[in-house]
Amino acid sequence: MLEVSGLAAGYLGENVVEGVDVEVGAGQAVAIIGSNGAGKSTLFRAVCGLLPVAAGRVRFDGADITRRPTHHIARAGLAYVPAERHLFPGMSVRENLMLGAYPGRPDPSAERLVFDLFPRLNQRRGQPAGSLSGGEQQMLAVGRALMSRPRLLMLDEPTTGLAPKLAQSAYAALRVLKERGVTLLVAEQQVPLALSLADRGYVLENGRIRLQGASQDLARNSEVRRAYLGVA
Amino acid sequence: MTAKPDAIVESGAAPLGVSARPPRSLIRAFWPIAVTAAMLALVPLRLGDSRYLMGLAVDALVFGAYAIAFNVIFGSTNQLFLCVGALAGVGGYTSAILSDRAGLPMVAGMLLATALATALGGLLSWVAVRRSLDVIFTGIVTLAFSLSFASLLLGQRNLTGGETGLLVSAGVGTFLQDRVAAYYLFLGMLVAFLVVFRVLQRSHIGWAFRALRDNELSAELAGIDVARYRVYAGLIGSAMLGITGAVFAHSDGFISPSTFDFGHVDVRVLVMLAFGGLGTLLGPVVGTVVFAVMDEILIDFGQLRTILYGLLIIALFLGFKRGAVPAVADFLRPLARRARSWVRRPL
Amino acid sequence: MKASILDGIVLGLQFGLLGVGMTLVYGLGGVLNLAYGQIAVLAAMVVAITLTAGAPTLVAAGAGLLAGAATSVVLDRTLMRPVYRQRGERRVLLGLLLTLGVAFVIDGLLTWRYPTGTLRLGIGGEPVPVLGIGMRVGSLWATGVSLAVAALLLLFRATTPGRAAHAVIQDEVGARLVGINPAAVRTLIFAASGTLAALVAETRSMTSPVTVTAGFDFTILALIVAVVGGLGNVAGAFLAGVLLGIVSTLSAFYIGQYITTIVLLAAAALTILLRPRGLLGRSP
Repeated sequence: MLEVSGLAAGYLGENVVEGVDVEVGAGQAVAIIGSNGAGKSTLFRAVCGLLPVAAGRVRFDGADITRRPTHHIARAGLAYVPAERHLFPGMSVRENLMLGAYPGRPDPSAERLVFDLFPRLNQRRGQPAGSLSGGEQQMLAVGRALMSRPRLLMLDEPTTGLAPKLAQSAYAALRVLKERGVTLLVAEQQVPLALSLADRGYVLENGRIRLQGASQDLARNSEVRRAYLGVA
Repeated sequence: MTAKPDAIVESGAAPLGVSARPPRSLIRAFWPIAVTAAMLALVPLRLGDSRYLMGLAVDALVFGAYAIAFNVIFGSTNQLFLCVGALAGVGGYTSAILSDRAGLPMVAGMLLATALATALGGLLSWVAVRRSLDVIFTGIVTLAFSLSFASLLLGQRNLTGGETGLLVSAGVGTFLQDRVAAYYLFLGMLVAFLVVFRVLQRSHIGWAFRALRDNELSAELAGIDVARYRVYAGLIGSAMLGITGAVFAHSDGFISPSTFDFGHVDVRVLVMLAFGGLGTLLGPVVGTVVFAVMDEILIDFGQLRTILYGLLIIALFLGFKRGAVPAVADFLRPLARRARSWVRRPL
Repeated sequence: MKASILDGIVLGLQFGLLGVGMTLVYGLGGVLNLAYGQIAVLAAMVVAITLTAGAPTLVAAGAGLLAGAATSVVLDRTLMRPVYRQRGERRVLLGLLLTLGVAFVIDGLLTWRYPTGTLRLGIGGEPVPVLGIGMRVGSLWATGVSLAVAALLLLFRATTPGRAAHAVIQDEVGARLVGINPAAVRTLIFAASGTLAALVAETRSMTSPVTVTAGFDFTILALIVAVVGGLGNVAGAFLAGVLLGIVSTLSAFYIGQYITTIVLLAAAALTILLRPRGLLGRSP
C-alpha cells in the first residue's frame, strides 16, 4: 500500500535521512524503530508532505504522492498522527473529532468506533482539547485521525509522555484497529511494544535503514537486543 | 585576523576581552567613513550657489542621520520603532518652543530637547522590554506614539502652531541658517553618528547586539542582559534623532507636523535602509544619496512618486532580504577576490 | 448624551466590522494587512464611479463589494505567496512591509486619477424616532446592514468553510492533517475581509462622505479595533468596535477631535501593554 524508495529529506539543506526504502502492505502493521535523533519524525514528515523531499519517491496505492501537499495526502486516505499531535486547543473534543472527517460530515459509525476505543473521550466530549491530560490528548489525536476512515494510519511515537499502563492500553487499541483492517505504520522508541504489534519492522539509525525483517526475527537479533532492549 | 576588503558590510566581531588594538586596524575600520566624509564635503563646491539644491542636500544629510539612528535601534537590536519622525519631532518642537516661547538660549533648548527625546525613546525601549513585546507589538505601540504625537501637534495649536506650523526664530541670523554652513554642520553630525556606530560595532556592545539579534534565547543563556542592551540601543538612537531634529528646526527656520510625520519620515527611512542595507555601516548613506537623487528626478511626477515608492518597497523587500547594496556586495565580492588574486599573481 | 451613545453604537457596529476584516486575516495567516484601508477606499471609488455612470444604487454597491473582494484575492494570490512561505516573525515583518508597499501603490493610483474623489451614499428622508431620538435614515440603514452582516458572520462559523477557517486559526498543521488546504482558506478569508472593508466604506458613506485620502485612517482604525479585541478573535473585534465607537463618539462630542484620536491610539497601546491578548483573546 505504501512504498517509500530512496527517500532523502532534512532541514536547511542538510539531509537527516538518506536512502530510505520502506514498504507497507495492505492490512499489515509495520514498525520503524530507532532512538532519539535517528530520523523517524523526519521520515514521517517527509512522507506526509510536511517536509520537502530532497530525493526519492513515495507511492501510496500506486499513486505517486512524493511532492503532494499534506491536505491532498490526507484526503487520499493516509492519516498521520504526529508526535506533537497538533490538536485544535480551543475547540471541544467533539469539534476536533468532527473536523477529522473534513470535508465531509462525520460518519456516526466512525464516531462510535472512536468512543468505543477511547471511552474517556466520550466523557469529555464537550471539553476544550487544550484542557485534556497528555494521555487523553493522545487518544484524541488518534481518534481524530480515525474519523476520516483512513486506509493507512501513521503514528509518530504514540507513547510519548504516557505512563506505562496508558502506553499498553494505547497499543491495545492499535491492535483492535489492526484487526479491523486498518494498515498501520508506527515509529517507536519503545521497541518491545512496537514489535508486539507489528508484523514487520525497520531499524533506523543515523538516518539510514540498518536492519529490516519480521518482528520475531528482529526481536531475536543480537544487535537489536543490545542496542534497544538493553540485553547484553 | 584579516579585515574584509570592503568594510561596507559589517566587519567581524571583536572577541570579548581584547582591548589593545594595533593602529593599522583603526585605519581599516574607519577609512570608509573618512572617504565618505571627504566625498560628501565636496558637494557644496558643486552645488553651493543654488540655495534650492543646497537645501535638498541638507535634507538628504538629515535623513541620512535619521537612517543611522534607525539602524542603531532596529538594525542592531530588532526593535521596530515606527516613531523615527516623532522622536525627531520631539527634538525639533521642544527646542523651538523652549527657545522661542520660554526664552531659553538656543543651545540649552537643543540640549534639553535632545534629553527629552532620548528619555522618551529609552522609555519606549524599556517598556517594550519589560512587557516582552515582540516585533509587531513594538511596532504598533511606537506607531501609536508617533500618530498620537502628530495629533498632539495638531491639537495644541496655541503651543505648536497646529497644522500651519511654527516659524522658529531662535537661530535666525546665525550661521545655522546659511545653507552651506548648515550642510557642513550636518555633515559633521552624520560623520559623528557613523563613528559612534562604528565604535559600537567594534565594542562589546556591538558583539552583544549581534548575539541577541542572531538568537535571543541563546544570548540570554550566554549571560547577555538583552534588556539592558535593547535599552542602550533605544537611548543612543533616540538621542541621535532628538539632536538632529532640534538642530534642523533652528537651521531650517520652519517646522510643521508634516515635517516629522510617519508618511514623510519613517517610510522614507525604511525604504532608504531597505535599499542601502539594514545593519550595515554605510547603508544609510548610500540609501540617502540614491534617494535624494531619485526624489529630485521624480519631483515633477507628483502622485506617481507615491506609487513608485510603493513599488520600490515591494520590490526591495521581496528581492533583497538584507538590502540591495549588500546583495550587490555579496555578488561582487567573489569577483573582487578573484581580481585581487589575479593582480598578486607572480609574473 | 443618549443621542451620542446611539450614534456611538451606529459607528461602533461599523468599527466592529472593519476590525473583523483585519483580525481575520491576521488570525489566519499572521499578516497585518496595511493595505486594508486602501482597499476600502478603492471600493468606495468604484461605487462612486458606477453611480456617476448612472447605475442603480444596489448595482453600484455590489460593484464596490466585488472590487473589495477581487483586489484582496489578487493580493493574496500574488504578493502574499512569498509571505506565507516565511514563518513566525519573518512572516509578520515581510507581510507588514509588502502590504505597506501595496497601500502606497493603491493610494498613489487613486489620488492621482481621482484627486477629489468622494463617495456619498446619501439616503434621504425624515429622521426616524428611535428611543426618543431622531435618527437619520442613513444611520438606520448603516445599522441595519451592519447587524445583518454580523449575523451572517455568526452563521458562517457553522458552515464547512467557517469550521475550516477556525481550524486553521487554531493550528495550521493540524488543519492540513485533517485535509484542509490552508492556502484556499486564506484566499477565501482574504476575499471576505476585502468585502467587509468595502461594506464598511459604503455604510460609512451613508452618514459622512468617504474621501480618497481616508485609506490610512481606515487601516489604523481597523488595527486599533483588532488589537483591542484580541488579534485573531472575531467576536472580540466586534465587541471592541462597539465599545470604541461609543468611546470615540462621546470623546469627540465632549472633548475634541484630536484628543479622540489619541484616546483610540492609547486604547490600542494600553491593551498591548496591559492585556496583550485583548478583550476576548485566548490567554497564551
